[in-house]
Amino acid sequence: MNEFLAEAWDARDAIVGGLLQTLSISATSIVLGTLVGILVGIVLVYGAWPARLVCRTYVDIMRGTPVLVLVLAAFYMPTVLAIHLTPFEAGVLALALFCGSHIGELIRGALQAIPRGQTEAAKAIGLTFSGVLLDVLLPQAVRSLLPPWVNTCVEMVKASTLLSVIGTGELLLRTQEIIGRNFLTLQFYLLAGGLYLVINFAIEQAGKALERRVAYR
Amino acid sequence: MLTVETTSLTPPLLQIRGLRKSFGAHQILKGVDLDVRKGEVVSIIGSSGSGKTTLLRCVNLLEEFEGGQVLLDEEAIGYREAGGRRVRLKDRDLARQRAKTGMVFQSFNLFPHLTAAGNVMLGLRKVKGMAKAEARAVAENWLRRVGLGERVDHAPSRLSGGQQQRVAIARALAMDPKLVLLDEITSALDPELVNEVLATVKELANDGATMLLVTHEMRFAREVSDTVVFMEKGQVSEKGPPSQIYGAPQHPRLVEFLRGTRDH
Repeated sequence: MNEFLAEAWDARDAIVGGLLQTLSISATSIVLGTLVGILVGIVLVYGAWPARLVCRTYVDIMRGTPVLVLVLAAFYMPTVLAIHLTPFEAGVLALALFCGSHIGELIRGALQAIPRGQTEAAKAIGLTFSGVLLDVLLPQAVRSLLPPWVNTCVEMVKASTLLSVIGTGELLLRTQEIIGRNFLTLQFYLLAGGLYLVINFAIEQAGKALERRVAYR
Repeated sequence: MLTVETTSLTPPLLQIRGLRKSFGAHQILKGVDLDVRKGEVVSIIGSSGSGKTTLLRCVNLLEEFEGGQVLLDEEAIGYREAGGRRVRLKDRDLARQRAKTGMVFQSFNLFPHLTAAGNVMLGLRKVKGMAKAEARAVAENWLRRVGLGERVDHAPSRLSGGQQQRVAIARALAMDPKLVLLDEITSALDPELVNEVLATVKELANDGATMLLVTHEMRFAREVSDTVVFMEKGQVSEKGPPSQIYGAPQHPRLVEFLRGTRDH
């Protein structure tokens, strides 16, 4: 135990650095993915058919491909087009696109679940399409969307470990490097697992607090 | 109740001319003509499937229609002529025209994420561009008029059906529409809640609101209307003052229809 604590203390910079990297990968891809998802979800419900076709194709491809394959593709394919992405950029690109497709579907479902009378009542008072969407439909969609959205956030934190295969120094890769030096396999994997658990637990608690805030009174 | 200009010199507020509408191969409206004058209350009665509700929804542009014209204040609603073809108006123009009419739905359709006042204020703020305090004052005033002064900050889920429908009436009337459309507004209510809603509508009619309503409440239609219109199979088959429609109906289908609803 003392040996583990000493090794962990020595490796503290690597662990904290990896943790921060994991957090920044997750946060960036969730934010970008959510923005993409909102746009895609709205187009899937209200877009003209060519736009809908494009979004539907994007969503189906992303959702039908393993995340690891997406990560590898984002890392190797742009090079062919002479675009050079750092492992961090490539990884975040893959995760954001993956996240966007999932959130797009969530938004589509949430919008379609709202009774048609809501749109009609909003139109009847003279709101334009953007007003109907922003003031009536999206505020209602957000409430049903929140639990699955929090779920997706947790999935993204877990998916961020896949970036270790393209050499992004996130928590899992850093842990593996530490184990490579001191061979305390079990202890350091447990430490990493515990840290992931803490992050996801915190996300779920924050999500629940948010749900309570926006619930209908 | 018809207190305002009945002279034929002023054109009617709402003019429906030869309105035709189909859902697929099924023709719902087969050339409907109908006028509503300012300050007039017109009730549409008829069996289900006769096209009453569709007619109302066409006036509020919630349905497209294939033929005929709807004129509100002498402005063609929903379509314009372009190179000899009729073209549906753009979203912004449709929204502007819809703001001239208020609509109350069978299923209330209150916005569940807003309070009673919030429901009334939304259109005032976003469509009429009122400041928050002013919109709040107008909303409170209207909610008081429909008897809900004590429920201003209640969420719709905490109101009874009758109260929800009165909020919906306040929401429509607060926009100061030229014409109010009421679509079977008591059909989704428990019997004991129907009267509070009908009493509210009667008061508004007495205050001079112009209304076009679809109803199954025969006694109410008789009491509140200046004109009653009987629709049958997508056409107006008889219209006249309530005394004539209920007292001396001509059309055999109307006679039959009234016999079926005698106890109302």
